[in-house]
Amino acid sequence: MLLDCRDLTYQYPNAEHPVFKGLSFKIDQPGFHALFGPSGVGKTSLARILTGNIADYSGKVIRDDTTKLLFTYNFERLPDWSVVGRHLEKITPPSREELKNDLINIFGLTEIADKRFSSLSLGQKNRINLIRYLVQDFDLLVMDESLANVDEPMRETIILKIKALFPDKYFLYISHNVSEVSKFCQQILVVREIYKQPQIVFVSGRDCTAAQPLQTMDVEKTMLEVMNAS
Amino acid sequence: MLHRRLYQFLLIYLLGLAFILGLKYSLSLSDYVIPAPVDIWETAHEVFFRYIADVLSTLKVAVIGQVISILLAVFVGVVGRQTSWLGSFVKVAAYNVQAYPIVALAPIIFILLGDGFISRLLIAAMICYFPVLLSVLGIMSEPVSDVEHFYTTTQRMRWQLEIKIRAFENLHKLTTVIAGSATLAMAGTIVAEFIAANAGIGYSIRIALYQSDLAKILVALFLIGICISFYQGLLEWTGAQVKKMWAGIG
Repeated sequence: MLLDCRDLTYQYPNAEHPVFKGLSFKIDQPGFHALFGPSGVGKTSLARILTGNIADYSGKVIRDDTTKLLFTYNFERLPDWSVVGRHLEKITPPSREELKNDLINIFGLTEIADKRFSSLSLGQKNRINLIRYLVQDFDLLVMDESLANVDEPMRETIILKIKALFPDKYFLYISHNVSEVSKFCQQILVVREIYKQPQIVFVSGRDCTAAQPLQTMDVEKTMLEVMNAS
Repeated sequence: MLHRRLYQFLLIYLLGLAFILGLKYSLSLSDYVIPAPVDIWETAHEVFFRYIADVLSTLKVAVIGQVISILLAVFVGVVGRQTSWLGSFVKVAAYNVQAYPIVALAPIIFILLGDGFISRLLIAAMICYFPVLLSVLGIMSEPVSDVEHFYTTTQRMRWQLEIKIRAFENLHKLTTVIAGSATLAMAGTIVAEFIAANAGIGYSIRIALYQSDLAKILVALFLIGICISFYQGLLEWTGAQVKKMWAGIG
């Protein structure tokens, strides 16, 4: 098991009410999971708690000390003092050089290595940012809207490739795209408003892979389940 | 950038001069109170080279004082950016000390160190130092989360990288602060010379004041303005070049 969360409650500083209260759940199987829910229910805060970026919460997050957890979000920027290719070179461990080049190809970013980050489109920025996390050593990677502003076919390509390249890793994908999470994710953790109990509900996704195409009906059924749960 | 600074100063100077002369002629003031344009012109001819040398002497002290204060402010700002007790102490001390008018300490410095170069330099550096320090502290204490997150979360963050990121992201602010501090350093040096020093344009103004010679003061102000505008323009141009080289933008 990677993470066991018990009775998590979190309140924003200066807020009158907690954003979520008494959340308990486990993440015990590797794969591409999703954290889904309406805006403002605390998905990002929850992810930040899981990865240790927020400390002032109550409850317990039980994990092995050696577990490497990373959190990435879609507004991150690379420093603009050199070109993105050089940044990637600097932060990629030598043993993952081939993986990095592979990802750059698959993510459609071969042309931008000599450009500076600020000159890229939003979609390109998010893809480059995601690559620099994928080449790190991690057990769980939380991707908070990391594929925002990326066109749909490319998103599909990226998600399928991530699933194929990292079958033993844990991913927690925060997205508002119900069809995407229903189609590609294994477990969908639906976070609901605080007045709904339980505040977190699990829905099984279709966990589509490149080798395993899906029936539209099945995806639609999962989408309905997710929408009903949220 | 450079020429804009110069013509902006010339415009303001000419407006100020026109106002003074307007006052003279509208109130029929004597040439002893406000000299006629021809007197100002003749005085300019008479003192130009001496005053230029004085302004350059003042500017030299101001530049050295500014460099010292910037180096010191960067050092203290880097220490003060930390969330440790030392960082908090430095920040609190800086905010409190800067509230005191440093120029009021000038007489003590002259008594202790005499009226030479060191006293002028020290006063220039002290007047320039605190505003620069507060800006550097503000910039260095403010995390650039969108850039820093990756390095922090992957445990790659080092203090040198943190400073590099914050300085880079606030390059425009830093350039503005440094260019602005040139005026402070110049003002500090002139004030020091005006109080007790034995050289520089502030010293010459003090003598002109004792002689009630407004023409000399107007010439001195013109030369101070031209020199400081040129120096500030040069600093801004250098800042733009650094930005161009570092960030690859014009």
